[in-house]
Amino acid sequence: MQATDIKAASLMPRKKTSEFKEVTRHLIKNRAAVAGLVIIGVFILASLFAPVFATHDPLRTELGNRLQPPTREHILGTDELGRDLFSRMLYGGRISLNIGIISVIIGLTFGVPIGAVSGYFGGKLDIFTQRFIDIMIAFPGILLAIVIVTVLGVGVENVMIATGIASVPIYARLVRGSVLAIKEQSYVDAAHAAGLGDIRIIFRQIIPNCLAPIIVQSTFQIATSILWAAGLGFLGLGAQAPTPEWGAILSNGRAYIRTAHHLTTYPGLAILFMVLGFNLVGDGLRDALDPKTR
Amino acid sequence: MTTAAAADILVVTDLKKYFPIRTGVLSRISGYVKAVDGVSFSIKPGETFALVGESGCGKSTTGRTILRLYDATSGDVQYNGEDVLGASRERMRKLRKSMQIVFQDPYSALNPRMTVGASIGEILKVHRIAAGKEIRERVEEVLVRCGLEAYHSWRYPHEFSGGQRQRVVIARALALDPQFIVADEPISALDVSIQSQIINLLEDLQDAYDLTYLFISHDLSVVRHMADRVGVMYLGKLVELAPKRQFYKEPLHPYSQALLSAIPVSDPSIKKKRIILKGDVPSPANPPAGCPFHTRCPYLMDVCRSVTPELMRAESGTEVACHLVHPIT
Repeated sequence: MQATDIKAASLMPRKKTSEFKEVTRHLIKNRAAVAGLVIIGVFILASLFAPVFATHDPLRTELGNRLQPPTREHILGTDELGRDLFSRMLYGGRISLNIGIISVIIGLTFGVPIGAVSGYFGGKLDIFTQRFIDIMIAFPGILLAIVIVTVLGVGVENVMIATGIASVPIYARLVRGSVLAIKEQSYVDAAHAAGLGDIRIIFRQIIPNCLAPIIVQSTFQIATSILWAAGLGFLGLGAQAPTPEWGAILSNGRAYIRTAHHLTTYPGLAILFMVLGFNLVGDGLRDALDPKTR
Repeated sequence: MTTAAAADILVVTDLKKYFPIRTGVLSRISGYVKAVDGVSFSIKPGETFALVGESGCGKSTTGRTILRLYDATSGDVQYNGEDVLGASRERMRKLRKSMQIVFQDPYSALNPRMTVGASIGEILKVHRIAAGKEIRERVEEVLVRCGLEAYHSWRYPHEFSGGQRQRVVIARALALDPQFIVADEPISALDVSIQSQIINLLEDLQDAYDLTYLFISHDLSVVRHMADRVGVMYLGKLVELAPKRQFYKEPLHPYSQALLSAIPVSDPSIKKKRIILKGDVPSPANPPAGCPFHTRCPYLMDVCRSVTPELMRAESGTEVACHLVHPIT
């Protein structure tokens, strides 16, 4: 409980954004989180304006200019087919961000209700759901994603679905834990006593109160999904040639690591920084959302 | 019994609530915590019936089981002649409108993510008591009735003090226009200076809306002030049930006598004989045979160890479950 300031005691009705403002204030005080926000911001801008920043067509091959090291013409050099690496990485960033965000949306839409219902109702349903989730969690996420992609077929869309499904059990477990704690609060009893229905209680009383861990997990999960997608791309299970995708670029460049290391260095650094950015923000959010660490 | 049932707003008969104790990998049930073990009482309209006893004696569980916040193990609850425990979902929703609860801890009783107005408004909407603009008006009306201001409906629970929150909790219970309210230790989490305000509020509301209270408390001085009748619980059982005056003048059960002797008196010159009970309350998972109180009773007799005394009416009108008062012949 924060000490109420003078404003809180004033007679004016307070705006609904107080909680949001509070969290933002704490996030901005955290230097690492700000660094993370800056990194993510740079990547988002670069992806949004990829066509503006790109110096070349990312798909145009120029066989006379193969494996050029960075020059003024090609800022990050060219790949084995003479395509401009800088332009390809800008477009590749779009794919990675998309995969990160969409897979998290998929994970949230299925994982949160499954976890909430399982924790809320308990009993046999809970035992059954949780054992199934145990099985899914027993596989490392990337392995699960590989299995799903193998079943669905390769391609960017399927990578999104696969990483999304692979994150469902993580959300389901997380939300179930929070729900178990929150459903014991007296305001949930009060809602029962007032005759509110179970579905309404889950969505109006319980889920809004376990948002903090969900938000934190989502920022981490974007990073993880990007990493999984790059892994799948590296294994040739993600975006197919000639689509520029960081994992795929890295994988293709591997053959030339002795002669043209820029083909592996820059995509590797890009993946590193994007994942780092989301993780830093996730850490910051966890502290900002937890009233105890404020 | 039938004539009495017609006059009573709430009749509880042999109510039992056992919580299973699960152990092992397969969570097999290895025993039961007998939180409420065969409690019977009835409440008249407009009356305040107080349930007292130390923590863990099952008084809160009794209140919650009556409202079906817990599923009863067995027993019967009649509310205005209607079967509560067997009521259908739809029927129960209607019953809940007139049976409400005020919680002990006002800090956990309000959803921290909803404004007070939204919390109360949602209940009104679900029961179709009001719609659209009326919701706001009705919310503000109950808040004002409970000593708050209309603009408080825009605030979140963390912006209130403990006493104000308890007013909000009472306002929420009142919003559905109930006849019967379970007040589950409504003041024990509050500062002493606030307690009296909340007590006064509860009394005002009772007069204004003809409310009936099941007042659960361990504070015997508050009960003396509020209650019309008192029921004393020990280890899930009612051991004494008496009109207030009779109870405070002449408690019959040794446990009641010990409880009453523990009330502080505001005059230091009065020397009171305190009855100090030995030992702890036995575990409700493994209650003693015979009288539940026999392990701590100063007047222990042989019969107490084997025969459980029944709640029976004594000459003074008090109902008491004790072999001292009702010797077995």
